[in-house]
Amino acid sequence: MRLQGKRAVVTGGRQGIGRGIVDAFLAEGAEVFTCGRGAEPNGLSTGCHWDSLDVSDAKAVERYAHALEGVDILVNNAGVQVEKTVADSTDADWDLVMGVNARGVFNCCRAFIPLMPKGASIINIGSISGNVADPSMALYNASKAFVHGLTRSIAVDHGPDIRCNAICPGWIETGMLDAGFDLAKDPAKAKQDALTRHAVKRFGKPADIAAMALWLASDDAAFATGQLFTIDGGMTAASPLNPGPF
Amino acid sequence: MMLQGKVALVTGARGGIGRAIVARFLKEGATVYAADLTPEGSLDTHDDDGSIFVQLDVTQEADAIAAMQTVRAEHGKLDILVNAAGIEIEKTIEETTLEEWNQSFAVNATGTFLTSKYALPLMREAAKTGASASLINFGSYDGFIADPGLAAYCATKGAVHALTRAVACDHGPEGIRVNAICPGYIDTPMLQSFFNGDGSGGGGGNIETLQKAVRDVHPMRTYGTPTDIANLVNWLASDEARYASGQLWVLDGGLSAQVQQMKL
Repeated sequence: MRLQGKRAVVTGGRQGIGRGIVDAFLAEGAEVFTCGRGAEPNGLSTGCHWDSLDVSDAKAVERYAHALEGVDILVNNAGVQVEKTVADSTDADWDLVMGVNARGVFNCCRAFIPLMPKGASIINIGSISGNVADPSMALYNASKAFVHGLTRSIAVDHGPDIRCNAICPGWIETGMLDAGFDLAKDPAKAKQDALTRHAVKRFGKPADIAAMALWLASDDAAFATGQLFTIDGGMTAASPLNPGPF
Repeated sequence: MMLQGKVALVTGARGGIGRAIVARFLKEGATVYAADLTPEGSLDTHDDDGSIFVQLDVTQEADAIAAMQTVRAEHGKLDILVNAAGIEIEKTIEETTLEEWNQSFAVNATGTFLTSKYALPLMREAAKTGASASLINFGSYDGFIADPGLAAYCATKGAVHALTRAVACDHGPEGIRVNAICPGYIDTPMLQSFFNGDGSGGGGGNIETLQKAVRDVHPMRTYGTPTDIANLVNWLASDEARYASGQLWVLDGGLSAQVQQMKL
């Protein structure tokens, strides 16, 4: 039990990658708190605590952090995406995407850092899209680059007491991935094409990301801080031409 | 005239990209030593362009020493060195013979090392004149992300990237700037060979279709020309780039800025 006696917050833990991380942390003995917009959903992982919280609301996040009296592990997983170019994006799109993905991470870090004990670990969910661009995902791509920059800043400013790293998932089987394929003219064909571009010939699963989150949360990662860890089945190791025409 | 009064040596100078660099340097007023295996290099012919041909096999230490002795005797300094000589083997590691692997490293990595090593004393002399000297290596976007079936080439370019930063650190205090250009797909004899080569583009397919497919993967919808590369080499060689050092300059029409281009 690698997280025995640890208390962890995982934002956005009702589904997808967040849910995978909640389950992995519970299995390793941590006490896990998760949160999201709206009331407690049905089918939440057994044993985790739910609070209704919009991470873009700074005051609410502040109250949440104080109510929990800090935690050992903070996973900033909550995120949204809007599939638009810059030219098509509205002010409301900006407020939503940057509010949750950028301000939300900032809010949680600012609120929890003063309450975290020595040896605490912050894990932000960045994205491969923060390093290279997915088409028609302009605000999302930019919000994840913000997360990458903030990750390094926190590591530099708040070491040695707190470690801070980001995980950059590639294409993980979640509702968000299906939303991306739904944009295609032929979603099934697009999915097949995408699969051939992964060295491991499959998409990721939430558990693949949770495995890295668990390692970063554990004391095995005591010297790991300020880094971006890409888990994408080898996709971004290959040229965009792969397999392409060749 | 951005390079008036400067002395430059370009390896691989009679190849596709090398010729464009030499032409631009000459146009900008530099004295240019064009180093290559033969006067024609990788093309069939070469017309006199005002450059000074130097027979140089970059894998041979004696050749590098002799080339620099020539430059020393005639000018006493070298302001600009461009290591553009390179080869590629279109194979996976299983298909690559030890001889091919060694040859790849001999030209792309050891060649860059040898020419740079023996150019440094002359570049120090150039730096004493006030402006910094500029050493420009050829990396590749393949040094960051892999094209299929180019294993040894990808590895040599990764080596060039690391060497670039190391030499920049060691010799920056002497007034020598060191950068690498990392081209994407550039229309050269090497690229056409790749299109036609075994296990890559040829395969009995239609080369026009293949070329269009490659162009369409680029955000700019084209691959680059040697002139595009020469434009950046010229800037890095010039005094305008006096604060640019230790960097890897990717020039690829946006190819590597994107996540793999799903055919949606």
